[in-house]
Amino acid sequence: MKVSLKNIGKKYEGREEFTLRHIDLDIEDKDFCVILGPSGCGKTTLLRMIAGLNSITEGDLLFNDKRMNKVPSKDRDIAMVFQSYALYPHMTVYDNMAFSLTMRKERKSVIDKAVREAAELLQITNYLHSKPSDISGGQRQRVALGRAMVRRPRVFLMDEPLSNLDAKLREHMRVELVRLHKALETTSIYVTHDQTEAMTMATKIVLMNEGKIQQAGKPDEFYNQPANLFVARFIGSPTMNIFEGMIKDGQFISKDGHIKASPSDKDEASVKAFEGKEVSLGIRSERFLTGDAQEKIEVTVDVVEMLGKEKILYTKLPSGDEIVISVPGHLDFTEDEKYTFGIDHGALHFFDTTTGERINK
Amino acid sequence: MKLFKKKQEFYLSDRQPLTLMGKLMLMLSYLILTGWSIVIVWPLSQMVISAFNGNQGRYLILNRVTDGSYEFSMKHFRFLFEETLYLTWVKNTLFIALATAAITILIVSFTGYAYSRFRFKGRKPSLMAIMLIQTIPAFAGITAYFTMHSVISSVAPFFSRQMMLILIYAGGGIASNTFILKGYMDSISTELDDAAKIDGCSNMKVYRLIIMPIVRPMLSIIALWSFIGPFMDYMLPRVLLTNPNDYTLAQGLFTLMNNRETLNQPAFAAGGLLTALPIVILFAVLQKQLISGLAQGSVKG
Repeated sequence: MKVSLKNIGKKYEGREEFTLRHIDLDIEDKDFCVILGPSGCGKTTLLRMIAGLNSITEGDLLFNDKRMNKVPSKDRDIAMVFQSYALYPHMTVYDNMAFSLTMRKERKSVIDKAVREAAELLQITNYLHSKPSDISGGQRQRVALGRAMVRRPRVFLMDEPLSNLDAKLREHMRVELVRLHKALETTSIYVTHDQTEAMTMATKIVLMNEGKIQQAGKPDEFYNQPANLFVARFIGSPTMNIFEGMIKDGQFISKDGHIKASPSDKDEASVKAFEGKEVSLGIRSERFLTGDAQEKIEVTVDVVEMLGKEKILYTKLPSGDEIVISVPGHLDFTEDEKYTFGIDHGALHFFDTTTGERINK
Repeated sequence: MKLFKKKQEFYLSDRQPLTLMGKLMLMLSYLILTGWSIVIVWPLSQMVISAFNGNQGRYLILNRVTDGSYEFSMKHFRFLFEETLYLTWVKNTLFIALATAAITILIVSFTGYAYSRFRFKGRKPSLMAIMLIQTIPAFAGITAYFTMHSVISSVAPFFSRQMMLILIYAGGGIASNTFILKGYMDSISTELDDAAKIDGCSNMKVYRLIIMPIVRPMLSIIALWSFIGPFMDYMLPRVLLTNPNDYTLAQGLFTLMNNRETLNQPAFAAGGLLTALPIVILFAVLQKQLISGLAQGSVKG
């Protein structure tokens, strides 16, 4: 089912400011849409508005072009997985999963079939008659998913469902969730603050900050074409290196003058338009060249972090500004030594410092 | 042998070993506790023994088991059932207690749920009002209750004084218990409500199917307290109920103590013993619920 948000706004009772405003978003059928953002950016509010748990102050919420603003949650044909799982503690796993169908007064045999099917798929058949308090966190997570699956919703909502799991299990469940999404053929909307989850699972990412959508699009666009400084800083680990400076003679020069970088031929025209203006340059840590290059920077290695397949170098420019550079793990770097790195023209992100918007489209 | 000895030397307790001062303090604690339990247990045991002692007359005397002044007999119980209106009092008290508990539970369920889950105009002030009201003892309004009853019963004659009493008890219970239940419900994640709503529950159903089973321990405590109240209270029935046929147990039994014509203190002891029975039974039945409820309540504070 297609979910469209048209100019949606939300103001909570007793608050001066709108929590969210002017949200326009189209989520296509069978999309796995991840709403990403730092805490307090309004992403959960947005999800709860789609679920009908919070009212919509202004704008329209459309499911397949049908206005849903005033439709109660239970009639929206949605299912939701909560952060705390929200399993009913006094019911067995089976009853938890059967609850929504029982409320719809389905026949016993139908309910039983649906529950067993879901349990089979999630491998929780053995725990069907345990109470939620008797099973582990990972199993509870599966039960919560199962409870949502059983009713065959057309929109699947998930509110940070993996945040209570340990790292290993989280990795495993990420894959599982994508698989499940494909098997169910529903539209999924997933809220998280974890960029790894967003990058790995989403077919579409919506990055929000301060109640606004910063960028919406495919995961690789986020990494390779961040729309503004916020997105550039938020996506990617280690965080992208950002240098402030200006354009002089079509070339970027940092404030301290240690970094000079010319745009690639493709970007030349758009960068030239900012001649003499303040511009920020972003370079991802892994896009520095260890080989020969025309433009170079000289840095002193401060700390080396060994991660196995790569090394992360925390280095300093002569001016004292920090640059994070990641290099393949087999190369040798010594702390407190000076090294030169080349700048790759194809890997430069130019941003207007005053507005934060991207320059090279 | 050596190994055995070594084993004995292990000090297994997690606490530091007691010093001399510590040992003295421990002895003192035991002394105080023992003295305390004697103060409680001795009169109770005297009551139980007197109730079954055929040699007791109208006035209670100290039971001496050794010199033959004790004789097992049920005559005080017989007196209670045959010469007094004991059974009527039991019936009255049970009626009042059950009705009080039922009304309290029903209304507190609604108020507790509403205050915990909904945001509405006047929520804070009304909570405040409830808190203030419960600090005033119910007895303070006795004249008002009296007038209220006569006004209502002049319009609706079936409104008896017992019903008035039920309303007073329930009203007092609702005020304080709303707070307790609200606090308990606040500790339940609202995500449960949300999940239930998406699953197709109305507000009423959310309470009935999800919240109520979770707060059941607290509800049973509230029910128990409201149930015990009428058994314990003497003042309100004393003022409101004038006909011996309407008396509650506490009030009825007291006539065996203070009225020169009907005085029979051993029978009073026997009656008191029997009165404890329903409460003990209730405790036994609700035990499982109560323990988890008290424990959880203690964490919540």
